[in-house]
Amino acid sequence: MDNTPSQAHSEEFAPVFVNSRREALWIFSVWAVGLVWAVPFCYFTGYDESVDAATFSTTLGIPTWLFWGILVPWIVADIFTIWFCFCYMQDDDLGRDPENESATVETSVDAQGDPS
Amino acid sequence: MNGLSYLLAAGTSNAALWTFLLYTLAVFALAALSNQLLKGKSFLSEYFLGSRGLGVWAFALTFAATSASGGSFTGFPAKIYTHGWILGLWIGSYIVVPICAMGLLGKRINNVARTAGAITVPDILRDRFRSPGFGLLAVSLIVFFMIFNLVAQFKSGSLILKTLVADVGMFQDATTHVGGWIQGIGFLEGADAGYLICLLTFGVAVIIYTTYGGFHAVVWTDVMQGVVMVTGVLIMLPLALLLIGKLAPPGTGALKFATTEMIAMVPPEVGTATVTVSEASAELVAIQQGDWLRLEDEATGKQRLFRVTRTTVIASGTTRASEVPILEIMSPGDKTRVAENPATRFRDSLRIDPASLRLQSYVYGGEEDRNGNGKLDDGEDRNANGKLDHPRPGLYVTGPGPSAKPKDVNGFLPLSLAFSFFFMWAISGAGQPSSMVRLMAFKDSQTLRRSIFTVAIYYSMIYFPLVIIFCCARILMPGMEGEPDRIMPAMAVFLTENIGAGWLAGLLVAAPFAAVMSTVDSFLLMISSALVRDIYQRNINPRAQERSIKILSYLFTLIVGTGAMLGAVNPPQFLQDIIVYTGSGLAAAFLAPMVFALYWPRSNSTGCIAGMLAGFAAHLSMYVAGMFGENGSFFQPYQLFNFNPIIVGLFTSFAATYLVTKCTAPPPEDLVRKYFYQQAKS
Repeated sequence: MDNTPSQAHSEEFAPVFVNSRREALWIFSVWAVGLVWAVPFCYFTGYDESVDAATFSTTLGIPTWLFWGILVPWIVADIFTIWFCFCYMQDDDLGRDPENESATVETSVDAQGDPS
Repeated sequence: MNGLSYLLAAGTSNAALWTFLLYTLAVFALAALSNQLLKGKSFLSEYFLGSRGLGVWAFALTFAATSASGGSFTGFPAKIYTHGWILGLWIGSYIVVPICAMGLLGKRINNVARTAGAITVPDILRDRFRSPGFGLLAVSLIVFFMIFNLVAQFKSGSLILKTLVADVGMFQDATTHVGGWIQGIGFLEGADAGYLICLLTFGVAVIIYTTYGGFHAVVWTDVMQGVVMVTGVLIMLPLALLLIGKLAPPGTGALKFATTEMIAMVPPEVGTATVTVSEASAELVAIQQGDWLRLEDEATGKQRLFRVTRTTVIASGTTRASEVPILEIMSPGDKTRVAENPATRFRDSLRIDPASLRLQSYVYGGEEDRNGNGKLDDGEDRNANGKLDHPRPGLYVTGPGPSAKPKDVNGFLPLSLAFSFFFMWAISGAGQPSSMVRLMAFKDSQTLRRSIFTVAIYYSMIYFPLVIIFCCARILMPGMEGEPDRIMPAMAVFLTENIGAGWLAGLLVAAPFAAVMSTVDSFLLMISSALVRDIYQRNINPRAQERSIKILSYLFTLIVGTGAMLGAVNPPQFLQDIIVYTGSGLAAAFLAPMVFALYWPRSNSTGCIAGMLAGFAAHLSMYVAGMFGENGSFFQPYQLFNFNPIIVGLFTSFAATYLVTKCTAPPPEDLVRKYFYQQAKS
């Protein structure tokens, strides 16, 4: 890569960058799976030109197309979120906060000059 | 009756009002307490940096509360009520919104913000690329979109307040008087007087609260408001099902009954009519919003039911008011429920002139064959599509859903828009600067992990239950299509009064109010920080004293809040339209540059600026095309290939960022090293 630092032999990608990128790809994939399931399923089962009240299908009172197209995936997505947050996502060091340190100095200066 | 006695009367008759006032006082008290606790600390350090240590609950709830704005509790319920179960698919991508909005960028943006010492979104872009111009561009776009959004939030808060005080005598009198005063006053003419009163009251209260409570209190009031929101929904859900269950035949579940009733529903027709009284009066006669009027159809002998959608008056000494906004309900089941409900307020002293009726049916799903002859007779083409449409059963329980908007000839949510919205909520949620700011504020990675989980559960408890509640509202409260943004507070009052716990309405109404407040204070904070930190401190006076920054912050809050309030005098009907415009516009402008800035070492300032401008321009051009094209309205954008402008904007932005970056010089080596590399361990 043309922008790789010349001292690349002594440096490596920061773990927080590598882990964040990998986790972002996972999340994007889950969104894509949700899209590919929910919208086509709802479209093919819930966009009906002719509805007969006697035969219209509901599950727990909810239209069946919505129950399987959205509600069940919602529960599955929550389960995935639990796994992702507690079993997969890394606890990376996010780094120190230089602004906090400099502001603390600035604040103490301000406080001396401006008692209000 | 003087003002005080009016208020006392309201207090004894309307416990909900008092409960609600108590809630508002609690928010103010919390803001004041936060302010007191923070005295002695630096405004700068608290305002700019104090939140970098947010824990799980504070971070999760401030994120959720700010995201779940007035749109979630006012515009979204309005859409559910107007279009039915299809809103379940419209909101479908919320199944992954928490993990997308927080997880896609969260850890990395927090890391880069710490590395840069950045405390606002423009800060990050400016420091990441060492480009002051990029920072200023980002500030400009944030201010532009946020002000639009604030207008919508002010409208939402005002409507909630209006519902609450609608039955208070002093308010009704004031509405009548103000209605007379504003006649002939330029931009106020045609505005709803009651709404204007509430807008002024709400606007002044929120601006004072935000300014006085200061920015310190925002996060903790968000936490309280977040709790109130989910509590409100979780109370409303069983109440709605309970009341529906009372209507259902034995052995039929409440929700099953509601869905079955919705199958038979037909959209209303909306328009105007001349309303008359038999004798002129020395005093003006008020025709209140929500009043029901009856008219016997001469041809069929059937009773037609109309609802007044905006308060109008018959002037003293006259017997008629022309062009009174009304809607006619068409569903047989709705007619029966309205006619048989003893609480229905029929104004039989008023009469509709049948010849004056000007009604319009829904573009998709409307237009009943009134005389039943199966032909398109004079006056029957009420949706002006050149043919006679027969509303089919099931419009409200299947896609694409009925719609009155001229552009929605294919229904509310055709397939292309279903894809667009699935894209929009999850992906554009990640691209919101207001969310990004909060992602810069959490304490550590563990906090982020736990917060994503918390928000996922939180949203699950809010959004799908809202769909159920307001589908039930279609059965419980017919005829609200003329004022759909009021459905949430109106439903709260209805539910609680029907179980004899009117005081509870105050708490339920507090839920959307909390959503609005938490969004308004956060957005005001964001605009102020953009103007004060990103423009004044970083570009004009880097050595500004804390006192100057504090005064400027308050001043800008006041000015921006007042401007948004004035802008809300005559906003579009659907609050959600503004939310959608600003949310998608911000994502179109900010997501691609931020993604590339965080995840692509090769990205440079030229490419990201090009991507931001291209996304903004492409998105805006769709709306401008809608305004000058056949849609004739800015909020009915042109849909290229039938896709929402967000798709066009994001695609353009990502493509422009990538292509321009590849065609321009790589970024400085030291910047790449600073943000992407660390020393090898061995």
